[in-house]
Parts: sequence; C-alpha cells; structure tokens
Amino acid sequence: MSGKSSREARREERLRAESEGDRDERRKRLLQIGSAAAFLVIVAVAVAVVITQSSSDGGDTNLEDVALVNGEFQGIPQSGLTLGEKSAKVTLLEFGDLQCPVCKSYAEGIVPEVIDSKVRSGEAKIEFRNFTIIGEESIDAGAAAVAAGKQGRGWNFIELFYRNQGIEASGYVTDEFLTEIAKGAGVPDIAKWNQNRKDQAGALREVQRSTEEAQKLNLTGTPSFAVIGPNSDGVEVLGTPGDAGTIERAIEEAS
Amino acid sequence: MRAPAEGTLRKVATFAATFGIGVATYIAIVEAGGGSPVCVAGGSGCHTVAESSYSHLLGVNIAVFGIAGYVLLLAAALLRGDAARMAGFVVALGGFGYSLFLTYLEIFKIEAICQWCVASAVLMTLLFGLNAVRMVGYVGRPA
Repeated sequence: MSGKSSREARREERLRAESEGDRDERRKRLLQIGSAAAFLVIVAVAVAVVITQSSSDGGDTNLEDVALVNGEFQGIPQSGLTLGEKSAKVTLLEFGDLQCPVCKSYAEGIVPEVIDSKVRSGEAKIEFRNFTIIGEESIDAGAAAVAAGKQGRGWNFIELFYRNQGIEASGYVTDEFLTEIAKGAGVPDIAKWNQNRKDQAGALREVQRSTEEAQKLNLTGTPSFAVIGPNSDGVEVLGTPGDAGTIERAIEEAS
Repeated sequence: MRAPAEGTLRKVATFAATFGIGVATYIAIVEAGGGSPVCVAGGSGCHTVAESSYSHLLGVNIAVFGIAGYVLLLAAALLRGDAARMAGFVVALGGFGYSLFLTYLEIFKIEAICQWCVASAVLMTLLFGLNAVRMVGYVGRPA
C-alpha cells in the first residue's frame, strides 16, 4: 500500500514538474513573440514618423517653421497680400522689406499678436506692402510675395521668408531659395508663380508702386505701420511701434 | 519586485483608455467641424497645433488614429488571457512611441503646446506602463 501511494506521489510530482516546465516554455515563447511584435511596432512608428515629417516639411527642404507658419494663417481669408476679412472696418498697413531683420523680429513677435487679437476676430485686416530699401534682392523677394498672393498664399510666403531670412544683401535670395519658400508656403502652381513674379507690368510694378507710396508717406524705415478706418484721418502713420499694444490701440481708435 | 495584481492593472487601464477615447473623440469631432480644440487654460496653442500640417497622417486626422488605438486598448483591458495581454502591450507601445514624436513636434517644430495632446500623451504613457507590466508579469500564466 505504501509502495503504491509513493509511486502515485512520484507520478504526480513528475506531472506537476512537466506542467510547470510546459508553462515556463510557453511563457518564454510568448515573450519572444511579444518582443518580435514590439520590434515591428517600433519599425511601424518609425515609418509613420518619416511619412509625417516628409509630408509636413515639403519633402527634403531645409526650411524652418513650415508647419508653424502654415498653421498660423489657417482659417483666415487671404486676398493678394491682405490677410483678414474683406469686410473688416480697419485696415492695418505694414510696409516691409523681406530682407529687413527688424521686420523679421516683428513678424515673429508683434505681428502674430495683432493677428490673433484683431485680425482673426474680424476687427481689422492687415495688408503687407513692399517697401524695398535694402536692394535688388528685396525687389525680387517682394515680387515673389506678390505672385504668391495671387494664389492665396501671400502671407504664408512672407512669414516663411522672414523665418528663413539670411543676411541682408548677401546674395541668398536666389531663384532656388524663392522657389523653396514658395513650395513651403504651399503655393499650388509654381510655374504660374514663376511667370507672375517676373512680370514687369504685374508683380514687379506692384513692388515699385508700393515703395513709391511709402516714400510719399515719408516713411523712413521698415517695418512701418499705418491704419485706415472710419475714424482715422485718412492714412494714419504709426511709424515703427515697439509693441503690439500700440498697434491694437490704433486699430481700436480708427474703428 | 512583485507586479501589481493583474485585475488592478486592467481596471486602471480601462479607466485610462476610456478617458483617452473621450479626449481623442473631442479633438476629432471639433476638427471635423472645421474648428480646433479649445485650450482650457486659454491661449492659442491648441489652435496652432490643430491647424499645423503635422495634425494629419496620410490625409487622416491623427485624432482618428488615436480613437482607434484607445478602443483597442480598452478592449485589451477588458479581455482576459495572453492574446489581450500581448495586444495591449503592442498597441500601447505604438501609441506611446508616436506620442513621444508628437510631443517633440509640439515643442521643437510647431512651438506650441496643446493641452489635449499633452493629456493624450500622458494617458498613452500610463497605458504603456500598465500594459508592459501586465505583459511581462503575467503572459503565459493562467488568466
């Protein structure tokens, strides 16, 4: 009797050991499968990251802030170089030179504040006018912006140019650079944009006209701002205010 | 160190995944209507992030992928067994990895922070931790 129960105990022990061994083996196999699946997931995430990067940065461009700029104006109507609702009572004029570093700092700080507080709300629209004071390259850049404006991407072009601005009059404003900015700004028809920006009677004439207008207003530097509204005395020149608050107050007083 | 009870891990994961579905659905619905999520504490970060070109993958709003991911994670949390343990880990790893990338984009590329995206990233990180512990601690063991 005791011999029989001892055999049964040994058998049960052996079965339990085999069962635990099987379980350990199965657990090991599942962890291996899990590791392989984790590796595949990491590869899939890497592919998704590459797709997101390439579709958002305009391929292999080296431009900075493409997504940021294109997000900045989303949902705000654009016509030519005017940003905002056509029906807005007040028009804020910005006379700028795309090569001007002070204009760049305004474009990155003060102007977005005004856009958020006054343009997005429909209280004012803002119109960019080229005031080319630095050199020939400014004229090419300005005409390229006007041409981008004809395809509804004028402000995207201006802002993206500022955020990728080089050293003034250093020769960086090449056809390649301008084309890269246009593509990054989302100009849909690059061939047409190329044609328009070189049009002597069109975009180039427009740049010349707005520069002459700035001179007539006795503007002395860039960026210079002015407001036109129902309560302004014609074109009221603000000059170069150092903060967004001054521009916002001028818009309120002109409306 | 002993892993927390699997039941506890599943309960917390159920709560986190449900909350994640809510966050992702809010973003997807608002954007489908042409708007952008409202940052609870104010500011334009949510608008900037939502309107950036990074908010879509292959033409589909990322929030839609988020909803799908959280639904799978909820199912994995509710189900028992090795398949659920492994599926939960794999989906959470993918979601966690992509959330890391999106957080990098917000800070360094878009230069704006959206509270809803941060909330989703925190939830996905939590779910990854829970599912990793569940997978390593309990896979191959009786449910």
